[in-house]
Amino acid sequence: MRERARLPRLALALAGGLVGSAGCMHFGALDDPPQLSTHVGDWRDQVIYQLLVDRFADGDDANNYRRDPTGMARYHGGDWRGVEEKLDYLEELGVTALWISPVVKNVDTDANVDGYHGYWAQDFTQPNPHFGDLADLRSLVDAAHDRDMLVIIDIVTNHVGQAFFYDINLNGVPDIQLQGDGRPGKSPVGHITEYDPDFDPRGIQAFTSLGEAGPAPAIFQYDPATNHIPPYPELFAKPEVYNKRGRTFNFDIPDQLLHGDFPGGLKDVNTTRCDVKREFVEVYARWIELTDADGYRIDTIKHVEYEFWRYFTQRLRQRLKKSGKEKFLMFGEAFDGNDALVGSFTRNDYYNHWTEDKLEAADALERDAECGGDGPVLTGDMLDSAFYFPQHYQVFGDVIRGGSATQKIADLWGTRAQNWGNTPPAGGIGLVPSKTQINFIDNHDVARFLYWLQGEPGEVSRGMLHNALLLLFTMDGIPNLYYGTEQDFDGGNDPSNREDLWKSDYRTDGATFKWIQRLIKVRKAYQALRKGDTLVVWATEHTDAESDAGIFAFERFGGDAGDNYALVVMNHNRSNQAAPEFDGSKMKVSVGPGTVLVDVLSTAKTEYTVDVDGTLGVLLPPLTAAILIPKGAVASGT
Amino acid sequence: MHLRSLPLAAPPSASPDLLAPPRGGLWARILAGALGLGLGALPTRASAAPPPPTSSSIPADAEADADGDDAAPPPGDADATTPAPAEATSSGTSSGAADPSTSGAAEVRADSATAALETKASDRPKASGRGAPHDPNTPPDYAQGFHFGSYGRITSGGDATGRPGRNADIVAFGSRLDEQSYAELEVRREDYWEATDSYTRAVITLAFTNPIFHYTGKFDASIGIRNLYIEAADLGVKGLRVWMGSRMYRGDDIYLLNFWPLDNLNTVGGGVGYWFKRGTVFKVHAGLNQPNNGFFKQVVDRPPVQNQLGATEVAILDRQKLITSAKLEHTAPAGESGGIKATVYGEFHWTGKGQREIADQVYEALPADKGFVVGAQGSAFTGKRSTHLNLVVRYARGLATYGEFNAPVQLAPDRTSKGAQELLFALSGNWERGPFGVMLGSYYRIFRNAAAGLDFHDLNEGIAIVRPQVWLGKRKFAGIALEASFQAQQRGSIVLGDDGSASPLFGKVGRVGVIPFLTPGGQGAFTRPHFQLIYLLTARNADARALYVPEDVFARRSVDHFIAITAEWWFGSTSYFRD
Repeated sequence: MRERARLPRLALALAGGLVGSAGCMHFGALDDPPQLSTHVGDWRDQVIYQLLVDRFADGDDANNYRRDPTGMARYHGGDWRGVEEKLDYLEELGVTALWISPVVKNVDTDANVDGYHGYWAQDFTQPNPHFGDLADLRSLVDAAHDRDMLVIIDIVTNHVGQAFFYDINLNGVPDIQLQGDGRPGKSPVGHITEYDPDFDPRGIQAFTSLGEAGPAPAIFQYDPATNHIPPYPELFAKPEVYNKRGRTFNFDIPDQLLHGDFPGGLKDVNTTRCDVKREFVEVYARWIELTDADGYRIDTIKHVEYEFWRYFTQRLRQRLKKSGKEKFLMFGEAFDGNDALVGSFTRNDYYNHWTEDKLEAADALERDAECGGDGPVLTGDMLDSAFYFPQHYQVFGDVIRGGSATQKIADLWGTRAQNWGNTPPAGGIGLVPSKTQINFIDNHDVARFLYWLQGEPGEVSRGMLHNALLLLFTMDGIPNLYYGTEQDFDGGNDPSNREDLWKSDYRTDGATFKWIQRLIKVRKAYQALRKGDTLVVWATEHTDAESDAGIFAFERFGGDAGDNYALVVMNHNRSNQAAPEFDGSKMKVSVGPGTVLVDVLSTAKTEYTVDVDGTLGVLLPPLTAAILIPKGAVASGT
Repeated sequence: MHLRSLPLAAPPSASPDLLAPPRGGLWARILAGALGLGLGALPTRASAAPPPPTSSSIPADAEADADGDDAAPPPGDADATTPAPAEATSSGTSSGAADPSTSGAAEVRADSATAALETKASDRPKASGRGAPHDPNTPPDYAQGFHFGSYGRITSGGDATGRPGRNADIVAFGSRLDEQSYAELEVRREDYWEATDSYTRAVITLAFTNPIFHYTGKFDASIGIRNLYIEAADLGVKGLRVWMGSRMYRGDDIYLLNFWPLDNLNTVGGGVGYWFKRGTVFKVHAGLNQPNNGFFKQVVDRPPVQNQLGATEVAILDRQKLITSAKLEHTAPAGESGGIKATVYGEFHWTGKGQREIADQVYEALPADKGFVVGAQGSAFTGKRSTHLNLVVRYARGLATYGEFNAPVQLAPDRTSKGAQELLFALSGNWERGPFGVMLGSYYRIFRNAAAGLDFHDLNEGIAIVRPQVWLGKRKFAGIALEASFQAQQRGSIVLGDDGSASPLFGKVGRVGVIPFLTPGGQGAFTRPHFQLIYLLTARNADARALYVPEDVFARRSVDHFIAITAEWWFGSTSYFRD
């Protein structure tokens, strides 16, 4: 009898088990309301890894809609689940913060190019279904936090995707026309695309054979198959929230820079409107409240007015703080080599695009007051940091790859305190902007470092890359590594620089992977390399065979690093060994005579002793470097 | 209920006295057994016999699964105006709602036959021609020669605003009251072969669905060949049957839902069945098909050979799906006329490896794929007036999760259906007493595709439906039925609450129908033909409306009305009586 009674129970248990295993419909962390918290102490302790979600890892076949891995400008299938599944790889590399592609729904495809990169927003409230759903995104953030890793989301406020066309000839449909035949005595050839006409400061004008006919109507496209549908929230479906002046063709003209459509027909939002400012705060605060992500990388900041950044950053910080999120990092991309321009977005005393006196605050604060009545009085605070594009060009491009004098590095660094500002934004990450710049060698908008060295011998190109990486991980600021660098990817300009990482098989035994792994380990081990102030102790104008040609040396000590000390000496000379000395002059260091410094990068842990006169001699082979740590402070395992 | 599943069907060889061609032979005996006519009672339908067991309710109407006419569109192909049902439905059920007609029909016939047997001869209609009067709800007369049978339903109606009627269920298998017109025409050839003392039957069934000429005015039709096979019985071994060809192959259905919950296959192949002497039947089958999907076949253009100009086609991917099934069923008598039936069932699905072109001359390897189904059914029946209760549990995994005609479109990382699964519990029944009757059906289904995590195509769904009815008048030629159902579906699509917490999309639909009808065959839940007047009210919650695009009327209406007249019939078709 007992056996008989057991059978139904077993059957019930089996059925229950099956239902339980297959049937519960839960969304993991999303089952509970998100609780925001601060997951970071000092952002300088972080190593950011920038990845394009579409190209990093494909973890879910369900979202592989319109996948075409043969076209570099097409969707390739990567997604958030894929990123989460590869966290072991990233953790092994040593990076601690992931900067991921924009998460919002995009125009799917336009002119045979896909929105795989994420910068063509169509719906600011919905996740990009190619990358997964909100549960996947939240799961990625949670999984990263579980490993003490952070997540930074890329956002855009300057523009939306190809949302509308200018009906220049008033026929109600988008046209691409050629006008005139160009023959002598005839009218010149004119090429007009109603999707992306050239900038007109009056706004794009309609015209007929009888002449101009007033502002060209902006007509929103409606093609669900390609997700060319009016942007959302509804505010962005109103023509009046766009500047409607056409495509920027001269970025040096402020009117075009700020009000022109981004090339490619990306429609420029009028970011001076109070309703636009508020809507952007709303939608982007919401994403953090839903995901608990730790920062925003902000696209195209130089195309947006300072007044927007004052409002957006301050209101966003205030709102997130109420929810429990502090030290929320916001850094922007000003794709420009002008250090004063790039640094202007982190200063709290910089107001105007329109006058020579950028510090003139009167009319700017007046404009701020129009929108700022919805909270505390707005100050001059803007972003926490910015992408250090000037360094990308002048240091990694000109000096390390191009062989220019290392004095150029010192010169650039020397201006940062003035250009970037020394006052942390209130409620920001709590760090001085001039010491928290986002350093990078290359990224998704520029050709990879190795692309320019494809004709060089392997030891040269790799030596240069490894020296560049050493500088990246030893200088002040926050290092940012572009995905694929660890796999020696060498793609050219966009989109060739957006290779599929899975083609590398995620190998972890390559020389560059190992080199990065080691450098990160060293950076983590020595507080001086993360938080010390910087003092350049040797830079040179020499670039040939002089004894110091290619040498660049700097110390990291003091500041938030206290008494910790590190000395970095690099030889960027591709042909000759060199040392920080020339014509009887030698490098003077800040540690006392007799101090023994150990090169923690060398296999033999080579030691150097400071001379009685406070100088130090270090002879380095071509394209090598040394990281010198006082002997008593050398950490085990480095 | 298939006759084959009826408990009292003795093995043909057990009663040689029944072998009396051309009256029916084996087929007739089986049918008679299925109908509960008892051994030795068979040759004439008029023989007194116990009423048919009704454990199974389903005549085989193939319409639903194979052709996809009723089938839910696969994800991505779904009509924008239609909520996308599950990516794939239970294997046995394919993705569409099964066609109700035939199934219920089968049993109906059985019961009708019983009823007819219980009817006094004087009450029967006069024979119009030769022989005894024919009751169309009884099995076909298995005489040698050609025979014709049919199932059909034709509907004319729409909503309260004049729009055409349209299936408003959000679950894969809902009320059949608003299903579209459909018909099967079956021609058979049956022979007794004296040389081998065996029987053969060739079956050809043509099925038609919309469009109907008188509706569109166009000479156009959607036609499918639902059966094209030949079967031999008693060839060499009494009790053994062998068939080959293209065949609907299924078990018992839930008439109200037009749904075959345990087994429902459509393949080209063959099978063997053996009827043991004591109510046990064992059947195995193997068949092939090739769903019309890029997971199985891809044809691309290539330059012709031998320096010829132009392009020629080549199948880069061309793999079939092998489907095998096995079924063991035992029926034991219980009580005066009833019985219980137990069924265990399994399927194995397999397809070979291949490759497909994902961009010009860029190939993606597709590994071999496989899956299985295990299931069981328990049935009890009184043997009187189709009163029965069926319980089914079924679990499918891998390739078998998608049924025989669907293909996975959301794959596991290794490009297989590994990880896909479906769990199904189903219930159906009928009860009749005096002028009253109640039909019921229900199922709960959990479906997960092979892709990681939850997405819109992952779902939990279920429905409960009940149809009480009463037959009126002395001859019970009219009646009225009420139908009430509640269906709910969760999809793996996130709905955020105000506090940021997430829950799945949870659509709910309630439906209430009133169906006055005329029934020339008299009372009986499965007696046909029926002339029906239908009013069906549908109420849907916000999440159910969210399954439709905003411009769809179903997205805008929380309450909907459907009004229609429908004729439904079945007679003389093996779709209802085959085994």
